[in-house]
Amino acid sequence: MLTLAIMLAGGVIGFIGLPKRVHAVNLKVQVACTALLIFAMGVSLGSREDFFRELAAMGWEALVLSVLPIVGSTICVYFLTERFLPKKEKRRHDRHRR
Amino acid sequence: MIAIAVSSLVLGVLCGRYLFSPEVVDFFAAAEPWALYALMFSVGISVGANRLIFHKLKEYHVKILVIPLGIVLGSLAGGAAGSLLTGLGMRENLAVAMGMGWYSLSGVLLTGLGGASLGSTAFLANLMREIFSFMVIPLVARWFNEYTCIAPAGATSEDTTLPMMVKYTGEEVVVMSVLNGVICSLLVPVWINLLYAV
Repeated sequence: MLTLAIMLAGGVIGFIGLPKRVHAVNLKVQVACTALLIFAMGVSLGSREDFFRELAAMGWEALVLSVLPIVGSTICVYFLTERFLPKKEKRRHDRHRR
Repeated sequence: MIAIAVSSLVLGVLCGRYLFSPEVVDFFAAAEPWALYALMFSVGISVGANRLIFHKLKEYHVKILVIPLGIVLGSLAGGAAGSLLTGLGMRENLAVAMGMGWYSLSGVLLTGLGGASLGSTAFLANLMREIFSFMVIPLVARWFNEYTCIAPAGATSEDTTLPMMVKYTGEEVVVMSVLNGVICSLLVPVWINLLYAV
């Protein structure tokens, strides 16, 4: 919950307003923090003795838990938007081939 | 962003495995929460500064919630169904699925709440969700409707997968995609914490 409070504090500061230059730096900070987080996670993973054996097991779980939420979300959003949002025509396929 | 994420992960694993001493490994473990706080603060600034989001929120009113609602329900259903196929418990499956594509946050949060192994599964599963989204959005645009293109992307619909929305949907759906990403991004830590609070 501390993370949420910190995000909210950032939101208030962003809403009040910051110079444009700060926003450009802010975007770079996001990329740097994400890269650092992932690197740190990789370090803690790599330092585990059974890492490669665990990776094989995690691969299956990760595959299941990426595909099924995508399928579930797609089905739910399709039916909800068909029911509650104004209809949109499908795009012509030739537009995508450009 | 995917290239940065994958190379950071591979480099981290190699350094942790072959290069770093246990002291350096501990240093990075201690630095992780601080990097997360900095990231959340920075994301908060971006959301707060985006006036267009507040404007469109008024225009669409509650109807904008239909898409994130569908994504949450679908991700929960997918996580629940996943418990039949993985060796994890129901709560773990739901928590990983509720990362909704935000791999860095869900990975770190679940490392803290459920251990390094679950955190890694969350990271991989949500990274895969983002990668698969790039592949399926063109198919969803063809087979379903434009709004549904936002569904696979989940919380990533405001940043990494946004260029796909620009290409395969219209301007209005692109704005809805940004709004959806903001709402889902706010919901990711709430849901994951909630699942571990009960």
